[in-house]
Amino acid sequence: MSNFNRRRFLKASAAGGIACAMGHVPDTVFAEFAGNDTFSDYKALVCLFLFGGNDSWNMVVPSSTAEYNAYQTSRQSLAIPQSSLLPIAPLNPDGAQYGFHPNMPELQQLFQAQHCAVIANIGPLLEPIATKDQYANRSVALPPQLFSHNDQQDQWHSLKGNMQSRTGWAGRIADQLVSSTAAQQLALNVSLAGQTLFQAGAQAVPYTMGAAGPVAFSGLTGTDALSMARRAAFTTIVNAEYGTVYERGYADVQKRALLYSDRVNTALAAGPTLATVFPTSNLATQLRTVARLISVRDRLQMSRQIFFVSTGGFDTHDNQVDDQPGLLGGISAAVNAFYNATVELGVSQSVTTFTQSDFGRTLTSNGDGSDHAWGGIQLVVGDAVIGRKFYGAYPQLSIGSARDVGGGRFIPIVSSDQYAATLARWVGVPDANLNTIAPSLGAFPGARDLGFMM
Amino acid sequence: MSQTSDAWIDAQLTVPASVQLPSVQAAYALLAQPVTNIGQLHNDRVAAWFQNSVRGPDQLRQRVAFALSEIMVVSQVSLNGYPYAVADYYDLLARDAFGNFRTLMQDVTLHPAMGVYLSMLGNRKPNVTLNIRPDENYARELMQLFTVGLVQLNLDGSVKLDAQQQPLPTYDQNTVEGFAHVYTGWRWAGAASFNASRASLINQVQPMQAYVEEHDTGSKVVLSYSGAALSTIPAGQTPAKDLSDALDNIFNHPNVAPFIAKQLIQRLVTSNPSPQYIERVATKFNNDGNGVRGNLGAVVKAILLDTEARATTTVSTAGKVKEPLLRLTQIWRAYNANSSSNVLNLANLGAIFGQGPLQAGSVFNFFSPGYAPPGEISTQNLVAPELQIATEYLNTQTTNYFLTMSLCYVPTPVTGVGCPAVRADTVVLDTAAELALNGDSAALVDKIADRLLAGKISDTLRAQARALVDRAPLTSPSLRVAEALYLIASSPEFAHQQ
Repeated sequence: MSNFNRRRFLKASAAGGIACAMGHVPDTVFAEFAGNDTFSDYKALVCLFLFGGNDSWNMVVPSSTAEYNAYQTSRQSLAIPQSSLLPIAPLNPDGAQYGFHPNMPELQQLFQAQHCAVIANIGPLLEPIATKDQYANRSVALPPQLFSHNDQQDQWHSLKGNMQSRTGWAGRIADQLVSSTAAQQLALNVSLAGQTLFQAGAQAVPYTMGAAGPVAFSGLTGTDALSMARRAAFTTIVNAEYGTVYERGYADVQKRALLYSDRVNTALAAGPTLATVFPTSNLATQLRTVARLISVRDRLQMSRQIFFVSTGGFDTHDNQVDDQPGLLGGISAAVNAFYNATVELGVSQSVTTFTQSDFGRTLTSNGDGSDHAWGGIQLVVGDAVIGRKFYGAYPQLSIGSARDVGGGRFIPIVSSDQYAATLARWVGVPDANLNTIAPSLGAFPGARDLGFMM
Repeated sequence: MSQTSDAWIDAQLTVPASVQLPSVQAAYALLAQPVTNIGQLHNDRVAAWFQNSVRGPDQLRQRVAFALSEIMVVSQVSLNGYPYAVADYYDLLARDAFGNFRTLMQDVTLHPAMGVYLSMLGNRKPNVTLNIRPDENYARELMQLFTVGLVQLNLDGSVKLDAQQQPLPTYDQNTVEGFAHVYTGWRWAGAASFNASRASLINQVQPMQAYVEEHDTGSKVVLSYSGAALSTIPAGQTPAKDLSDALDNIFNHPNVAPFIAKQLIQRLVTSNPSPQYIERVATKFNNDGNGVRGNLGAVVKAILLDTEARATTTVSTAGKVKEPLLRLTQIWRAYNANSSSNVLNLANLGAIFGQGPLQAGSVFNFFSPGYAPPGEISTQNLVAPELQIATEYLNTQTTNYFLTMSLCYVPTPVTGVGCPAVRADTVVLDTAAELALNGDSAALVDKIADRLLAGKISDTLRAQARALVDRAPLTSPSLRVAEALYLIASSPEFAHQQ
C-alpha cells in the first residue's frame, strides 16, 4: 500500500463515503486495520543527549542536612553550596529533601508544576543488581566496557547489552511503526545533531538536518532551463548504478537530501511563526527547529516522530566548578523554551522530551573535576509526563555506600531499557513488542514500565 | 610517474617535515591585542596546514600526519587559547610519522596540547582527606583510542573471545586507575613548583615537566599480558621512570600492532581491510625486518604497497569514502589553486565539510572507525567511517560549496549568479586548460576527469556532464567549465577513493 494513505482512507470511511461498501467486512479485521495500521493522534519524542557524561549528582542535589552533609563530604570542592539549591517538593517524598542546581530555575519550576520528572540512579543494566558484592563477584551480568564514553553512549543509543548492534532503539521503533506511518512525508527519525546509532533502524533510515533546519541544494531549485537541466543531471548521477558500497552509500545520502530538503523547507515556509522566544545557543536553535517541524506536522502528514538533539562539553574532568553552571543553565533555558513552544502549539500533551548521557560521574574529585562513572539522573519533560515525582531511587551520596563500587560510582537501580520501554510504549509500540526495543527488558519483570508517562 | 611506487615512498620517507609553528609565531607579531585575540592564530595554523598539505614536498608525511591526527586526537575546540601548542602538536605528528611508535607515544603523552586536552597536565597525586584521586582521562583514552583498544585482538585484528563467546577486555578499571597514578605530577615546564607552573608561549611547545611533589610514589597496576616485562610498577620511582615503564608496558602489548595497523589502513587505504591485510601490516609493525618493533615508516610502506591496496580489479568494498576536507585539498592541488595573497585557506571548514585540521568535536574524532550507516553496509557487517559526517545536511553544504567554487572561484567568475567578490584571500582554481577546451565539451569533461578521477569517469557521469556543458552557451566558457566541474566534484565517484 505504498501510495495509499491509510489515515485519509480511514477518515474518509468514517465520514461515510465508502462506509457502506465496507459493511460486510468483519469488525475484527476493521479494528485491527484501524488499531495497528494507523495513528489518529500525534506523538513525538525528543531525545536530548548530553555528550560527555553529565555530572548529574550536581543537577538534582540532596538539600536536607544529613544527606547534604554526606554529599558535601564526598564531593568537597565539587559540591554545590547548600543554600544555593533551588528547592523542590516531590509528590512522592523519600524522606530527604532535594533541590535543583542554582542555574536551573526553569526546570525547577517545570518540576514543581508537574511537567518534569526526575529519574534517579538510572543507567545501563543487563539485569537488576541488588548489592555491590554481586558486582564485585561478577555474579550478575554487566554491560561491557563500563565507564568508556563511546561504549556507554552506544549502550544508551542501542541498548545492545552484550550483543553487537547496528540499530538503535529509536531506529527499531521506526522499524516497528513503518506500516502505521507509511503516509509520513519525512523519515520518522530526524536528527538535528548528526548521525547516531540511536536512530539507525534495520530498515528505517533517519534524516539529518542542520540545527536551523534543512539546507537546500543551491543551483538546483531554480525554474530556469539551465537549473532544471542541472538538477536532472545531478539526479541521474546520484541514481546511477555504482560498483562500491561507498559510492552507493554516498549517493543514498544525496538522494535523501534531494527528496527531503525541498519538501521540508516548503512546509516550514508555510508554517506559523513561533511567538516563544528561545535563548541563543546551538541547543536552543535545534529545539526551536524541532518546534517548527512539529508546527508543520500535518503538512508533512506526520503522526509519529522522534527527534535527536544534543549538546556537549559534559566530560568535566577539568574546571568542573567553572564549566558546569553554564552547561546546566543552557539545558534548563533551552528545554524550558521548547516546552513553552509546545504549549503555544497546543501539543504539550503530545511531545515528550527526555535526556540521555554517557554515564554519571564519580562523586569524588580528581582535583578540579570528576571522572567516568555509571548511574546518574535523567529528566523527562512534557504534559504527558506524570511530573513532580522521582522515579528510581536517589542513592545515599557517600563514598562506600550501598551501591558505590568505588570512588562514588553508583550501580544504577533502574535501567535504560526500562526507561526506553516506558517511552516506547507511550509513543505507540505494543507491549508485546517492547522487548525488541529494549532487549534486556525481560530481566525486569513487573517493572517493564517505570510509570512516569500517562 | 617516472619512479616506481617503491622508490617514491622511500624518497618520501626521508623528506623532512613541513611545519606549522613558525608561521603561527610570525602571525603573532601582527596580532592586535594578542591576549584576547590569541585564538585568531588558529586561522594561521589552518592556513599552514593547507600550505603543507597541498604544496609541501613531504606529501606522504603530511598525509600520514593527518591520519595520526584523527587517531591521537586533540582539538582546537578545547584548545582555542593555545594555537602554538596545537600547531606544534601537528608538527610533532609530522616529525614522528615515520619514526618509532614508542617515540610517538612519548611525545604525544608529554605534549602540553594533549596534556590540556585530556587533562594529564595538572593531574595531582591522591589526597585521601579531600577524596581526591588522580584524573583518569588520559589513562583511559591513551589505551582505548591511541594504542591497544578495549578488547584483546589477534594479529589479524579479529577479537579474542572467552568461553561464553564474549570479547576479552584488554584491561579493567583497576588498570585505568593504575595508569592514572602514573600520570601524576606533570605540568607546564619551567616553573619552580607544580603550583607555580603556568602556561606561556614558550612552554606551550615544550614537553610537560614533572614536579615530584605532586607525583604519586606508590606502586601502580599496569597492563598484564603474556610476555609483559612487569604488571606492577614498583613504588618509589621518579615520574620519568614511572612514565617510561608505563609506556613500555603499553607499547609492548600484542594489541598495538593490529590496532594501529587497522586504523592506519582505514585512514589511508580502505575502510574494510581483509584480516590477512591487517595481519601483514601488523607483522611489519612487530618486526620491520631488522628486528625493530614499531617502525612507522616501514608500516606505512607495507600499507601502501600491499597487494590489497594495489589490486587492479575493483571489489565492492575496495577503497573508502574520501574525507570531504581531502576532496578540497585534492581539487586545490589538481588546479594549482592560489589566492592573490598567496595564502591557501577557507573559513568555516566545519560548517562546510564537517571537519577541519585538529578541529574534532571530541577525542573520538569526526567519525568512528566502526561507523556503519543503515542499509547494505550495516547488514553486511561492513563499515564506512567517513559516511558518519556525510549527513544529508553536510553533504549538501559540501555540494553547495563545490557549486560556488565552480562558478565563482575561477579565473573569470560567472556573472549573474550572485558570486561573492573575489578578495585577496579567496582561493581561486586555475581552470585555464579547461577554458581552452570551451568548444569541445567531450574534451573539456575528459580534462576534468583526468585531473580529479585519474581519467576513470563513468559513462553516466561523462554523458551527463557533457550534455550539461552543451546546454550552457558557448559565449560563457566559465559557465560551461563550471557545469562539468560541479557535477564531477559532487559526484559519488569523486567521493570514493580507490
